[in-house]
Amino acid sequence: MRMKTTALLSAAIAALSAGTAFAGEVTWWTPNFNEARAKTLVEKFQAANPGITVKLEVTTTDGLPQRVLTALQSGAAPDIVDVQHGWVNGYAQNKLVLPLDEVLKDREDYIPAALEYVTWDSKLWGIPYRIETHAVIFNKGDFTAAGLDPNKPPQTWDELVAAAEKLSTDGKSGFAITGGGEVGNTIFRSLPFMWMAGGGIISDDGKKVLVNSPESVKAVTFYTDFFKNKLSPASTLENDGTANRRLFIAEKVSMYQSGQFDVPSIKKENAKIDVGVMPIPHPEGSKTAAILGGWSLVVPSSAKNPEEAKTFIAFLAESDSQAVLTDTFPARISAMKAERFNDPILDVFKQMLPYGRPVPAHPRWVQISQAYFDGIQRILLGDEDAQKAMDGAAAEIESLL
Amino acid sequence: MQRQSTGYLFVLPALMLLAMLIAYPVAYTALLSVTDNQGEYVGLENFRRILAARATPIAFWNTLWWVFGSIVFQVVLGVLTAILLNQNFRGRALVRSVTLVPWVVPGIVAATTWAWMLHTEFGIINYMLTAPGLIDEPVGWLTNGRTVMPVMIAINVWKMFPFVAIMVLAGLQSIPNDLYEAARIDGASFWEEVWYVMLPQVRMVIVAVTLLLVIWALNHITIIYAITRGGPANRTLITPIQIFRTAFEGVQFNQAAALSVMFFGVAIVVVFVYIKTLASSGDQP
Repeated sequence: MRMKTTALLSAAIAALSAGTAFAGEVTWWTPNFNEARAKTLVEKFQAANPGITVKLEVTTTDGLPQRVLTALQSGAAPDIVDVQHGWVNGYAQNKLVLPLDEVLKDREDYIPAALEYVTWDSKLWGIPYRIETHAVIFNKGDFTAAGLDPNKPPQTWDELVAAAEKLSTDGKSGFAITGGGEVGNTIFRSLPFMWMAGGGIISDDGKKVLVNSPESVKAVTFYTDFFKNKLSPASTLENDGTANRRLFIAEKVSMYQSGQFDVPSIKKENAKIDVGVMPIPHPEGSKTAAILGGWSLVVPSSAKNPEEAKTFIAFLAESDSQAVLTDTFPARISAMKAERFNDPILDVFKQMLPYGRPVPAHPRWVQISQAYFDGIQRILLGDEDAQKAMDGAAAEIESLL
Repeated sequence: MQRQSTGYLFVLPALMLLAMLIAYPVAYTALLSVTDNQGEYVGLENFRRILAARATPIAFWNTLWWVFGSIVFQVVLGVLTAILLNQNFRGRALVRSVTLVPWVVPGIVAATTWAWMLHTEFGIINYMLTAPGLIDEPVGWLTNGRTVMPVMIAINVWKMFPFVAIMVLAGLQSIPNDLYEAARIDGASFWEEVWYVMLPQVRMVIVAVTLLLVIWALNHITIIYAITRGGPANRTLITPIQIFRTAFEGVQFNQAAALSVMFFGVAIVVVFVYIKTLASSGDQP
């Protein structure tokens, strides 16, 4: 009831604000971190296409999925929206966005996993322009102090645990995991470990539950043991990625998983820390893995000017534009040559990209990941052991497939 | 006859507005609850699915605790505060305005502030307890399964008791002085005055305020969602948050609608029973 009123209300507001759309005007919702770069691109585009005006509307990432969804459902959406890759499938399945196959050029220039993400029913529903993966960020000073070589960071799980044990002294935590905040935080940090071990939450075709397979349970145990063995902070159950970064900046945590976007803020807030980056450690004899994250552009089905929107997206998808617009890495291989991606601190993040995999596309993925996350929290709370918690999650997920 | 139909004409605009803002969403939610996302009729499938979800019974019991715990303390603390603020003492005006502060602070601001104050590592509450040595180890207020719900209830009580206090205070001030004088002549002590004069006189105010509090607690989202999002492991998941999650995070509008319909039913029954038992007995003082 409440949700319906909210939806109606926002529909009314959106209708009022969208009522002023004219032919040839494209409204583009982009998150605040893109604002400055988006403005440059809009100016460049308008100079070349005098017939089309682009109206930039800046959004914030907090609560964005709900806001976008409400706009799409209400039928009063803008012409272009910036969304995370993982959301696109849900929109496509509910017919909320338009297919964009005709807009895509140079298919082979894109990182395949990025396109895979936004493909459903063998059609393309978004144009990826930004990709990124996690790596492990560590404090080189702490490594030296603990007698570890900062130039030879741990590569395997066993080495990671051994290093975390050495680093966990004087109230410091060696390796911070997440166990709180939005579900995605913990999915991004624990699912790659399950992949490395040969498990997962569900199979790629979305037909089988893998969450309680021996491989998955091994990875979940590995992940949650960092907390159980006090190598991750006492506050783990309330920590998301941002909290871990804050603890790292406060020099209470020596290693944690994150993306390259954390590096500038660490350097700004605590210049004393010598930041190192390592690939995410893997089990002996298998390869590393990471979730490929990032952003795509979609055109809502209810867009007022879809044709102009597609023209503008085609411009944004050009290699040069992608090199400008992305906050991390571009989805196109040729765009990676731009000067700004040459910073040595980005090397490891770049190395991780080929190991990036999309999260499984399933209409009920959000509920599936919630069921898994609840299981992780039950382990961290000490309610259940890894096997029992994952069996519980598996039963729940089974009913969602 | 003629006059009556003119009357209807006058209330028509207001009725239409009400219909659009209340009746339409209710009817549409009911419709959503028995269809799938393509609009096909599916009977009670959505109800079956949402009832089978592991979180649903957990959320139901949590909601009971949350509403019951919040109401009891809000009312008791609110009434006591009102009685205190009704006394004559220096600085009463100041105390009265300060009491209102928690209620005036926007919910999301209060929630975020409390979340930080309660944080295990950075929180001022743990700092104040560990610094003088009152406790050895910081308490994980929001991460311990036993403390997290009581903490949420405490924040809700803190947030809403001023409202109770102000409403009851207004009621207390409308009590004629004669009643107190009569009681005093009969030799009543202060607590006898409270029990036999004040409380009976503000009974209806308390009944009405409690009803409001029950409704607000039943459809509450802000504090819990901003602090724990229903976690850890659904320890603070209450049904409104489950509805919100199902709809806006899980994109299962139909199941969310089914849960809303059931929740609406439960809420109506609770409110109905409450009014029947408490409010009507107040007619014969």
